[in-house]
Amino acid sequence: MAPSVSTTLWDTTGNAITAALAAERRQAGAIGAGQALTLVIVAAEDQVSAAERAATAAAEAHPSRLLIVVRRQPDTPNRLDAEVAIGGRLGPAEAVVMRMYGRLALHAESVVLPLLAPDAPVVTWWHGPPPDEIAADPLGILAGRRVTDCSLADDPIAALHQRAADYARGDTDLAWTRITPWRALLAGAFDAFDGVAGTVTSVRVTAEAGNPSAALLRGWLSARLGVDAECVDDGGPGITSAEIRVEPPSGAERVVAVHRPDGRSAVLSVSGELDHQLPLPRRQLGALLTEELRRLDPDLVYGEALAAATGMDHRDLEARPSERRHIWRDPMQATG
Amino acid sequence: MSRPVASRADNPLRDPRDRRLPRIPDPCALVVFGVTGDLATKKLLPAVYDLASRGLLPPGFALFGFARRDWDTRDFKRFARNAVIAHARTEFSEDVWSRLADCLCFTSGSFDDDDAFDEMAKTLDELETVHGTRGNAAFYLAVPPDAFPPVLRQLQRTKLCDTTPLGGWRRVVVEKPFGHDLKSARELNTLVDDVFTGHDVFRIDHYLGKETVQNLLALRFANTLFEPLWNAHYVDSVQITMAEDVGIESRAGFYDATGAARDVLQNHLLQLLALCAMEEPVSFDAESLRIEKRKVLNAISLPSDHERYAVRGQYLQGWLAGRRVPGYLAEPDVPSNSTTETYAAVRLGVETRRWAGVPFYLRAGKRLPRRVTEIAVVFKRAPHLPFAATDTVELGQNQLVIRVQPDEGVTLRFGSKVPGPSVEVREVSMDFLYGEAFTESSPEAYERLVLDVLLGDKTLFPDREEVEASWEVIDPLEEFWSGRPPHTYRAGEWGPIAANTMVERDGRVWRRP
Repeated sequence: MAPSVSTTLWDTTGNAITAALAAERRQAGAIGAGQALTLVIVAAEDQVSAAERAATAAAEAHPSRLLIVVRRQPDTPNRLDAEVAIGGRLGPAEAVVMRMYGRLALHAESVVLPLLAPDAPVVTWWHGPPPDEIAADPLGILAGRRVTDCSLADDPIAALHQRAADYARGDTDLAWTRITPWRALLAGAFDAFDGVAGTVTSVRVTAEAGNPSAALLRGWLSARLGVDAECVDDGGPGITSAEIRVEPPSGAERVVAVHRPDGRSAVLSVSGELDHQLPLPRRQLGALLTEELRRLDPDLVYGEALAAATGMDHRDLEARPSERRHIWRDPMQATG
Repeated sequence: MSRPVASRADNPLRDPRDRRLPRIPDPCALVVFGVTGDLATKKLLPAVYDLASRGLLPPGFALFGFARRDWDTRDFKRFARNAVIAHARTEFSEDVWSRLADCLCFTSGSFDDDDAFDEMAKTLDELETVHGTRGNAAFYLAVPPDAFPPVLRQLQRTKLCDTTPLGGWRRVVVEKPFGHDLKSARELNTLVDDVFTGHDVFRIDHYLGKETVQNLLALRFANTLFEPLWNAHYVDSVQITMAEDVGIESRAGFYDATGAARDVLQNHLLQLLALCAMEEPVSFDAESLRIEKRKVLNAISLPSDHERYAVRGQYLQGWLAGRRVPGYLAEPDVPSNSTTETYAAVRLGVETRRWAGVPFYLRAGKRLPRRVTEIAVVFKRAPHLPFAATDTVELGQNQLVIRVQPDEGVTLRFGSKVPGPSVEVREVSMDFLYGEAFTESSPEAYERLVLDVLLGDKTLFPDREEVEASWEVIDPLEEFWSGRPPHTYRAGEWGPIAANTMVERDGRVWRRP
């Protein structure tokens, strides 16, 4: 079995963390080899354990170095606490959990930069309300892939619009990841569908009010099928149905529909065919993160869906540079 | 009934840039013969469950079990549930299971029972309406090879293999061994191809479903680093090893009639050799890959001196991993005068410009010290060493080792200076681990292969010509060996001394894996 080692450092420095990580890698032997990427997680104190669980699950599939940054009150004295663990409670990954107090929290990259695995891709995940401007967070600048989660914002739909306004290639949102099974089911139904040649006349998505995933599903269907999909609110949980009506060149209208009233299992119905019941559970955070880490290139289909969901032009989104430049914002100063 | 083939490309919801969406097979039925056997219990049923829990099964799906046991569908569901709980890779979820359980059915009967097959044909017809399988069906022959002909004939008689009345596709999956020599393999192939068409036959070599084996292609053809060295100019020899620490378990009947060469050398090891030695395919589709593999298999040459370069062995009683284990002849149900080999080592050549003069040493055996499968590419020594002779006594040959199992990964061995004031060069290893901690979540070979069958992707399946070319390599060896007693080795040793002598004669040694 892989040895597990862990060190806790109180009121420490970035150099001490780097040294502790190097020491533990030597002690742990070969398990430190072959890290495919660095995952930086930005989380609030009360979200750390959920983020840790998800990252541990994802590390099973993606050997990674895990850097968790918890930003504490910026108006306290500067201080850095850290826990360095290899093959321990945070799964097989090399993990560093850092708590940053005071102004240091605004300069988290100064601690994180030397800890990135050499020349490996960096993914930053904000487990909490997404930042308004990713460019204002240096931890977003150093990542090639940036993962947000609009569902954790106070107003998820407004957050989604903000994501579109701030979009750059390489951004994704877990609200998008959540609908992959829905998209797979609908695309699969269309594969086997004889009426593909027809004209799509209407698309309707039903979901709990203010659900950003439903908005993205509507956006994706609108963009792909070339119709303006409508979104209908109901009590949820999450997305409850998606319905596509197609008019074939001849014959009666055909409907492809997926209904999931209970958030667990769905019924797929296609006109003229048998209904199928299928499991379509809402997935755990760990499974979502695992899917996100599978691809480290920009997800352009997400860009299209996001643009369609928020009424923007996807060419405008795609034309933006994928690299961001840091914008300095001091939270201690009144913002306008 | 059949849908237009072009529709998938026309599907507006599919986009090649959208790599999150998985490929999901057409609606279909998977019919498993011998569904109560070891293979189905430990590998197939769990793999189907894992596919279901990853959402990779089509909405219209049915799994149809056929076996001799006097069961009804309810008994079968109970049995399948236990198999899934015991062996599935993904976590057991009642939701996923209950959906899958609705897709299961069972017919009891023996393979010469016409009524049972008629019954099955009828039920399959019903499935079409109940589960919407659209007439697509894959038949999985998880049965011993002697049961292939009766099952295939029944499929022919009941016209289950025939797509004309209903449309859709029919596929058949056969497990190794594909025959026991060239002649029987040809007969079997002709029978299968006759009942189905050659294109619809999937021969499972589960080694090809393993991540590392697929990674071998990435390692060779996605990098610039290795390919320039991958030839007789730089490579001294290649060693392919498949060692097992277990004995023959409860397979005495099968094993005694088969032996190590037919059991694993003919399929797994020659497939590994083909992937290791083949030229770059023009693309990674099934046909291009097979063309290259076939070329290598056809270019394999046997040693002219069988006595010296084809060694087989049989294990004696010995100690292994702290336990005393019986010799092969003392295993239950093995005849006391058996000359079946449990170890085989052979030197092969590949007669191409790339590999001229490079020996490929293959060995496979049971009751060896540990379970390991690997390909070791051993490079030539540097033509000139500007060190004092004493400085490099401990320097061996550079090696690139592809570890297939366990600890999937790649090791590079090269010389490095020992720290200190004197110049002393010694071997060190650089390791890439596919991640010993991660193997549990990487898909099982069977999961991948079953999915490929349902998708109709033949890339990872050897075809008829490959199987026959492999037998052409094995048959002369078997002929030479027949009637000669095998060498012996103690359980827990790395094979018979004659195998060591074989490589030492060429001035080489076996790598200790």
